[in-house]
Amino acid sequence: MSARAAGLVACRNCGQVHQLDTLRCKRCDSTLQSRDSQSLQKVWAWLVAGMIAYVPANLYPMLLTSTLTDRSESTIIGGVIELVDYGAIGIALVVFAASVLIPVGKFAAIIYLAVSVQRGSGRNRHGRHKAYDVVEFIGRWSMIDVFVVAILSALVQLSAIATINPGIAAVSFALSVIFTMLAAQSFDPRLIWDADRTIHD
Amino acid sequence: MTDTPPPGPAPMHIRPAKTPLLQRLSLVWVVPIIALAVSLGAAWQTYSDRGVRITITFDNASGVQAGTTEIRYRDIRVGLVEAVEFDEGLGTILVHARIDQDIAPYLDADAQFWVVRPDVSVRGISGLDTVLSGPFIEGNWNTTADVAQTNFTGLDRPVLTRASQRGTIIQLQSDNAGSIAAGAPVLHKGLEVGYLEKPQLNFDGSGVVVSAFIEAPYDRRITSSTRFWDISGFSVSFGAGGVALNVNSLASLIEGGVEFDTIVSGGDPVTDGQSFTIFPSEQVARDSLFVDPSAEVLRVAVLFEESVTGLVRGADVRFQGIRIGEVSEISAIVVGEGDLAEVRLQAVLDIQPSRLGLGADATADAAMTLLSDFVERGLRARMVTGNILSGSLFVELAQIEDALPAIMARTSGRYPVIPTTDSDISDVAATAEGVLARINALPVEELMNGAIDMMDSIERLVDSEDTRAVPSSVIALLDEARGLVGSEELQAVPAELRSVIVEIDAIVARANDADLVTSLDNVLEVASSALVNIEQATRNLPRITAEIETLTVRANQLELDALVTSAASTLDAIDAFVASEDTRALPGSLNGALEELRAVMAELRAGGAVENVNTLLASANAAARAVEDAVSTLPALSAQAGRLVSQSEAVVASYSERSRFNAETLATLREIQAAATAVSALARAIQRNPNSLITGR
Repeated sequence: MSARAAGLVACRNCGQVHQLDTLRCKRCDSTLQSRDSQSLQKVWAWLVAGMIAYVPANLYPMLLTSTLTDRSESTIIGGVIELVDYGAIGIALVVFAASVLIPVGKFAAIIYLAVSVQRGSGRNRHGRHKAYDVVEFIGRWSMIDVFVVAILSALVQLSAIATINPGIAAVSFALSVIFTMLAAQSFDPRLIWDADRTIHD
Repeated sequence: MTDTPPPGPAPMHIRPAKTPLLQRLSLVWVVPIIALAVSLGAAWQTYSDRGVRITITFDNASGVQAGTTEIRYRDIRVGLVEAVEFDEGLGTILVHARIDQDIAPYLDADAQFWVVRPDVSVRGISGLDTVLSGPFIEGNWNTTADVAQTNFTGLDRPVLTRASQRGTIIQLQSDNAGSIAAGAPVLHKGLEVGYLEKPQLNFDGSGVVVSAFIEAPYDRRITSSTRFWDISGFSVSFGAGGVALNVNSLASLIEGGVEFDTIVSGGDPVTDGQSFTIFPSEQVARDSLFVDPSAEVLRVAVLFEESVTGLVRGADVRFQGIRIGEVSEISAIVVGEGDLAEVRLQAVLDIQPSRLGLGADATADAAMTLLSDFVERGLRARMVTGNILSGSLFVELAQIEDALPAIMARTSGRYPVIPTTDSDISDVAATAEGVLARINALPVEELMNGAIDMMDSIERLVDSEDTRAVPSSVIALLDEARGLVGSEELQAVPAELRSVIVEIDAIVARANDADLVTSLDNVLEVASSALVNIEQATRNLPRITAEIETLTVRANQLELDALVTSAASTLDAIDAFVASEDTRALPGSLNGALEELRAVMAELRAGGAVENVNTLLASANAAARAVEDAVSTLPALSAQAGRLVSQSEAVVASYSERSRFNAETLATLREIQAAATAVSALARAIQRNPNSLITGR
């Protein structure tokens, strides 16, 4: 039994339940939609945009470090390898997780959710809902890289001796994270359960 | 809910109307499309901007790092090294680099690359900035784009001439590069106007060629008549002109360098690559201006019989002081045949016809004709000392008066021969010896002894108590004088003098009355007759002198035989004569007479009485008589001297040569002569001034 089957529609913002044909929430005035017909489209669109942005984020340098004698540009993976070379494996793992594992994991999770909804699969609906919650929650932590770059760039501006500037990758990476978060948000988790309905109807 | 179908009509299969694909598409799709477009755009931009990849081959690429080392052109970054690797044989290092798109077309065949590192040399420190930033690769190419290349060979050393510099590159040739280093300066009037590149062997290995870059606008100072010379290190020249030491800048002392100057005008402007010779010194360079290396040279030989030590190759050949050529060869050749064969030393002279005044394009034949003509008129070759210290010689062609007739002929050997004359060689050793011998002969020791004696005497004099007492005596004397002057008596003198003068006036008035003048006349007459006698007596003296002279002449012809025996007696006789009472008495009696006169005069002055004047005149008369008497003995004296002379003559006649005795004789005779002269002088004095007998002066 779903709200839709009962002729009702719940506001996704405040949870107020309305008649199915109500257009706007009478409590918070947000648009009411029983099912977002374009949800999957949006998910795919944001996901593709996020993945496109993730390519230059990895190819271009993240940090432009120039010191008195040296001038180096490091990409994300390059930075991780450098950290490993210096023996800071712990930090390397954190950076690697935040910059590579989480974004890539999110791409994979969203693709899995979207594909499973499209195919109307009814298996493991609880697991998929949990996965959606995790993706939604963890998405924002991917911004940790961007914050590090922003803080370093702001603090290390010692003129000729040492300066750190953000590279193009920093912007790309931030965009990638934002697009991925939007993709996750565009996903209507109720679709997970609709598949079950169609099967049992 | 039941499983039975709900009542009412069967549910309608409501199929939503097919909406067009475009309406069903979400607007969100715009975002990935933009993202894609931007990404692709950026990728394309990066790809198209990434520049041209070139490869530079280095033997040594120390310090070059992929991703860090820059390629610079005129100190501006134009590329970055992407990779550094070995080539297949590990022989060289390949440096791959990206060059900016807009620069790449200029990288044609003339592009050069080298690694810039810190460099410390005599001329300064360069590339210091690479100490911190690490080395970079510097490129040099011209500003015209030609066929672009991607493979280059790196240089070991920086090139000195940048493509952007304006100037002229010329080639300099030298015998050796011992004094020339890459980067050595080219000076003009002391200004650094260019530098030398690295010297290289010329194509046949017989010399060294070095490129020199002369900066604009100084390159306009170079013409085809410009001369370059070496200014490396310092030079000491020791020639006929003396010793000359030349030292240039410290840098040129170590690194070498060349200087140039255009001394004569009229040369053609130079173009890139024109070749010049580096002369060993400025003097040689300047001399070379007047020698056209391509001009014909007349070679003639000179055969010397004496040693040619000191004559070297390159020694000057001078004609009336002007250098007309040089000695090009010295060798020994055999002249004549069989028993007459002898070795001569042959010097070959290279004579510049133009120096003989024949004009710039004179031929050797013309010079030959001229020289032959000169030789017939007495031109001869000889060696002359150029420098007395070094003993160097040069060959001089000189016009010799009354030279034996000769012609210029090819008697032997390959060259016509100029006849020689005696050489004019001053030997420094012989000259110095003569000088030393003269110095040796100087009576230095006697002079020193004399000086020492004199100083001793002075010392004794100064040391003596009398001398020391002098100052105090002088002071005492002055004191006394002061006392005397201050005495009242002396002060009273002027008044007394005045009264005396009044009295004298009176006396003079009375003297006029007493007919004093007549008496005086008498006195003077008597004195005058005395003088006549004296004059007669002295008239004989010249004769005596003449006789003595003849005696001296004869004495010169004396023989030595009777010398010893006769000498003593003669001298004795002379002594006796000299010591005789008459001789000695003569001055004495004269003196006495004069003393008397003086006493009378004193009395006259002291007395001042007119009455005494008559007695005075009488006394004067007597005195004059006494003089007369005394003088009357002079003839006798002369006669005695005459006898003595004849006696001496007899004795001395046996003498032949000058000897000690003879000398003594002469000395004695001279004394006699002197005595006679004294008498004569006295007589003349009296004659000239009879009044002196009266006044005592």
